[in-house]
Parts: sequence; structure tokens; C-alpha cells
Amino acid sequence: MSMKDPIDLRQDRREWLKTSAAALGASLLPLPAVSAETPQAESADPATKTETAEAKPAAHFFTPAQQALVEELSETIIPADNHSGGAKAAKVADYIDTVLRESFDDSRKALWREGLRLVDIMSQHYHGKSFVNASPEDRIAVLTVLSNNDHMTDLPEVRFFIELKRLTVQGYYTSKIGIHDELEYEGNRILQDYVGCDDQGPASS
Amino acid sequence: MAESEVNLTKTYDAIVIGSGAAGGMAAHVLTGHGLQVLLLEAGKKLPIEKELRSMEWPYDNPYRGMLPPDQHSLSFNEYTIRNPPYGAGFEKAKQLKSYIGSSDYVKNIVVDERENPFTGTNYAWVRARCLGGKTNIWGRLALRLSDYDFKAKNRDGYGENWPISYSDIAPYYDKVDLYLGITGVKENLPYLPDSIFQRPTKLNCAEVTLKEGLAKMGRVLTQYRAGVTSEGLKHNKYRSRCYGRGACERKGGCDIHAAFDSPTGLIFPAMDTGNLTLRTNAVVREITVDPQTGKASGVHFIDSETMKDYAVHAKVVVLAASTLESARLLLLSKSRLHPNGLANSSGHVGHNFCEHIMGPGVTGRAKNLVGKPPTLDDGRPGGFYLTRFRNLTEKHPKFIRGYGFEGGSGSTMFPRGTDTHGFGAAFKEEVRQNQGAFISMGAFGEVLARYENYVELDPVVKDKWGIPVLRFHYKFGDNEHRMAEDMKETAQEMFEAAGFEIVHVNSRVLTEGWSIHELGTARMGDDAKTSVLNQFQQSHDVKNLFVVDGSAFVNASCQNPTWTIMSLCWRSCDYLADELKKGNL
Repeated sequence: MSMKDPIDLRQDRREWLKTSAAALGASLLPLPAVSAETPQAESADPATKTETAEAKPAAHFFTPAQQALVEELSETIIPADNHSGGAKAAKVADYIDTVLRESFDDSRKALWREGLRLVDIMSQHYHGKSFVNASPEDRIAVLTVLSNNDHMTDLPEVRFFIELKRLTVQGYYTSKIGIHDELEYEGNRILQDYVGCDDQGPASS
Repeated sequence: MAESEVNLTKTYDAIVIGSGAAGGMAAHVLTGHGLQVLLLEAGKKLPIEKELRSMEWPYDNPYRGMLPPDQHSLSFNEYTIRNPPYGAGFEKAKQLKSYIGSSDYVKNIVVDERENPFTGTNYAWVRARCLGGKTNIWGRLALRLSDYDFKAKNRDGYGENWPISYSDIAPYYDKVDLYLGITGVKENLPYLPDSIFQRPTKLNCAEVTLKEGLAKMGRVLTQYRAGVTSEGLKHNKYRSRCYGRGACERKGGCDIHAAFDSPTGLIFPAMDTGNLTLRTNAVVREITVDPQTGKASGVHFIDSETMKDYAVHAKVVVLAASTLESARLLLLSKSRLHPNGLANSSGHVGHNFCEHIMGPGVTGRAKNLVGKPPTLDDGRPGGFYLTRFRNLTEKHPKFIRGYGFEGGSGSTMFPRGTDTHGFGAAFKEEVRQNQGAFISMGAFGEVLARYENYVELDPVVKDKWGIPVLRFHYKFGDNEHRMAEDMKETAQEMFEAAGFEIVHVNSRVLTEGWSIHELGTARMGDDAKTSVLNQFQQSHDVKNLFVVDGSAFVNASCQNPTWTIMSLCWRSCDYLADELKKGNL
């Protein structure tokens, strides 16, 4: 797919949802509403999860496969470059896992599960590969479709993209890499005097 | 400072209800006059330095400084599409906080909305139940009012004048400046009098550009006048001077207490006099009245933890529970002699409720700063204040009264501009290159005091302690909406005049209450038929009852109220002590 051709997300999703439904041998139409998720969806092992659902939260929100997918998604949002490390090095996926694992908001959790599934379906549709196995260019192409249509907030994959970007940004710019390597933040130390426009730079006391 | 137990058999000289800016000041002034004072606070005494952790790096916090994800703080959208009480739909959240409670550093300072519900019209009501109240997290902008505010009716015919003039309160503004410390620069503006300032903060380059652009338009931008001691206070061992450490932008207070807060600034020194007894977890449910004299005799309070009920007694009751809670308590204190609620023969308690409207503003980019090395800009308690310019010398055709802007520019720990479109390498680069180049400001405008804007007791709904809650009847009016339109236009105009690229113009008016400047529910006045309090914040009806918080305001002005609340309170408490000695109360 060419990045220059505008994708009609609403048109395309009928196609890719149909394909995936056929592939999975299950009908996904009409579109599943993002609803409160069941305890089974919490863990890779539904049996164990159901038993312990009331006892304590799972050690991780993401399954190992989902964790790998979120790592690549977040790295696509904020990649490493010659200035500093990216979201992967900053362990943004771990931060997102913590937020979701401890979240009280079941619809938010369900949106993440659904979004991760839909992004993979999109990657299969456009590139014939899962997101994790796709090339960096192909990954960018998938997220570009969502970013260019980020006004279509009735679509779960769009709402997921907005959440993905928000939490990636939140996690990255509050990490050591984000604050110190990327932004080279100067503050949070004790100063002799305030710094103004005419000053050369801060003087530590 | 030593804490003593509350003595239930004693008649204190004064009971002060509430430990925020007003209650702290009342405790300070009255104990200074040698009165035996009992200070009641509904919330806990928090280990505040452990809460605020001002220099904690976000990555050393499991939630990166955000509210833990098992809790929730209400968003603008939620305040808009939902109706009070806001608890419905958030049953699974461990705590439900107002919008300001969205950080890990303030989560124990602001109340759980579900324990403290209210009904009626939409309102973003921020309440802090803990020692010091909202002064633990206030925005620190410390401005004086002038006769443009106190005598506003003389200028435009609207509303009522205050029963005082600037000359009455000026000496008390001076006392507050000197006792608590304030930074700023003298500007000699008749409508925004100068304080006695300590070492000022400095403007950064984009702010200087804006100041110069505005000067050509005859408008004034000055350094943020912060209620912060930048030079230290020799008379107060509980507070440090400001070391410009940074992170002043994040939601939270100041753990070295360079920024004023009521406990270290007022209450701990008051305890050192030996005249103050502090009782926390004391939820006052009623001010009691002597059935013979009709005068206040004390209060009933419920221990917030044990739910046990107590009665305490005093010669004078000083109400300082915050504008809305004080009105609530007066309305709750009904008796045979005061069937409308205490101090309410006028029927004005709860009415003339006013505040500041906010939301409209602008974000711009100083192109000459794009790609420059990072600067240190957030080690200041604030950026700039752009002073009022409407309805001073000319009359605006569409609205009365005025507004000012708060703003700032430069690098911050969490970068500005991450809401820019897109993602990937270009997004990352753009955030980095622009991080020091953004400048933004938002307006605070006067909401007219109107009788029709009011709170009353809800006949059904009660709080966690079984106390009837407030029902709101409060909406911004036409004058406010026309003013908000002007705020948006002038904000854009001024940034364009300064040569900034306009990134975003905000025309959205935030939910009523957002400014956290609620005022006016027990206004002062010379006429007992149309006001609740006299010029010394003393009830017209009940001589030994004083209401010393923002509820006494006659209008909201457009200046942030804390410094005026404390100055008025100081003046009133001097009067109170004098009257008590004379046997007049």
C-alpha cells in the first residue's frame, strides 16, 4: 500500500474484518461492541484466572504476545533515533501494563484487548503479516491509517490508537530516557537564583 | 509545637471552623491576641512532605506521578455530560476525585466525591479536607484588590459596593505580605496595587517578547505575584525560602513550604503561642445557639473516623470552612430563633454566589526559540500575569468588569506540545525541537454576583456522615459568556502582536467551579436586609459569629482571592479580639 493514497478506513475495515472473520472461522459482523471484559480475557490461561480473579490481580495485564505487540507499537509511536532511545528502551510497554493491570475501568481494558486484535488484523490485511513480524515501514503504514483518521472516534481501533499514543507519550516523557536523554531536562535541582532571558544558564547552589 | 487534647468541658474564647487560608489566619491572629482558640478541621493531619514529594522523579513513582489507576479523577468531559452527584458510574474506582486530584501527590488531599456528594447544576467543586485545606495545593497567585473592585458599583452601577475601601484593607495586605512572603515586581497600577515584594522571579525570553509587544498596546505583563517566600522569613522556622527547584508546574504543593500553606505559615506558629488547640477529623454539623440569647454557643461535630458526636463551647464562633461549606453550615444551623438558618434573616445566605470564569486562552510558538538548547523555566512558582485592561478607562460595549491572564513559557519536565498530530520519528523530533518555544495563557474573569446563583440544602441527599448536602443552582450568565468571547479574541490578538505563531486558540469555557475561586455566599454589607455580614465579617444577626472566608466577598473581581481572604480575616479578627475584650460580644 502506498502511504500517499488516502485510505478510507470505514470502507476498508469492512474488508479486513470479513477476511479475518473467515480466517478465524467466526463471524465478527456485526462489529462487536467494546464491552466490559470477562475475567477470562484477563489472562492467557482462562482456567487459572477464573479461580483467582477475586483473590488478586494478575501479575501482568498483557499476554507475552500482547506485550511484544505493545513494545513494537509504542516503539513505532516514539522510535529510537540518533539522539536518544525510544519507547522500547524506555520500557513504555511495562508502564502501560501497570496502568491497565491496576485500572478499575473494565471498558478501558476491553478497548486495549480489542485494539490490539484489530491492529493485528489490519497488519494482516495490508501486509499479510502480523504487526510484530511486519517491517518498520509497514508498521508505520498501519498506524498512519489510524492517525490520519483519528477523528473517527466511533471506531474502536481509532480510540485504541489515541489511547496508545497518549499512554506511550505519558510513559516515554516520564522515563529516564525521555527526561534526561531525549529532552535533556535542566530542572529539579536547587538553584542560587531564578533563571531569566538574560542569564547564561542556571547556577546550582 | 505541641498538640493538646480538646477539652469538652471548657468554654474556649473562640472556635475556628476550618484550617485553610482563612481558618489558619484566624487562629494566628486570635492566638496572637492571647485568646484561647480551638481550631477544628474536618480532615486529617497528613504527613504532608511525604504526600507532596516535590522533587521525586516521575520514573521513581510506579504511576509516573499520575493518580493510581484504581482511582479516578473527573475530566472536563465527565463534568459536562454527567450530572451531580458524580459518583454514579464510578462504583469500581477505589476513590473518585475532582479534576485537580489527578496526581499521586494530591490524591489524599482532595476529598472522595462519593463521600461528599452534592446535587443540582454541574459544578467542578474542589474540596480539600486535611489540615491546611486547599492551601496545600493552591496556585499561589497572590493579588490585591483595589477600589476598582471594592467600589465597582460606583463605576458601572451593577451589584453592591463593598462596605470597605482599599484604604481600610491596605495595612492588612501589608501585614500579610510581610508575615507570609510574596514575590513580584512593582508596577504602580491603580487597579492592581503592589505588595511589599521579596526577590522576584524572572521572565524568560518568550515572556519578555510578549511583555514588549503588550507595552506597545498599553497593556501590562508582570512577573507572577506568587505567595512564596523567595528570601525566607526570619520569624518562621517552619518555612524555607524558594530554591527554584523545579516541578512547580506539576499538580502538587511545595514540600519545603516556600509557597505559603496554612499549617506551616500560620497554624504551627499559632500553636507555639500555647493558645491553640487543634482537633482534626472534626466534621462540624451544626453551630449551636443559646436559646435565650440567640447567640452562638459552640458547635456539634462528628469524628470523621469513629462517627462519634461531640459538643464544644466557645464565646465566639469563627466560620472559615470555605465559601460553600460555610454557607452549608449556616443553613444547617436552624433553630427556633433562626428558622432560616443561622445569620440568615436577610435570606441571602447561599446567594450572590460568584467566582471566576476560565477556559479561553491561547497557545503560541516563538519561532526564534525552536531548536534552541533546553532552558530551565519551571523552577519558578509561576510565569507571568497579564493584568486587566477592560472597563478601566473605557467602557466595553458588550460586558462589564474585567479579566486577567495567567501564563508561562519555556521548558517543563513534561514537555508541552505532545498533543501535536502524528507519531513516529517526526513527532519525536518536533516535541524535542519545540519544547522551549511554547507560550500559553488562560484568562480568569469576574463572574457577576447574582442573587439567582445560589446553593441550598438538598432535602434528601446526605454525605457519609449523614449531613444534608448542598444543592446547586448556579450557571454562568450572558455577561460571562460575552466576556469569554472577548478573552479568546484578545488572547489571539496579543499573541499575534507579539509575533508568535498561533498554535491553538481555546474558546471552551470550563465547567463552573473550575477556577476553585468560589466566593460570595454570605456577603458583607452595611444593610442587614441585603447582606449577611458587616464590614468586619460579623453576622448582622448574631454578634458573636464571624464568617471569615471567601463567602464574605461582595463581588469576585478578577483577581485571585487568597491574599484578600487572609487580609480581610486579619482585619476582622483584630476587631473581634478588641470587641471581646470590651465585652461587646
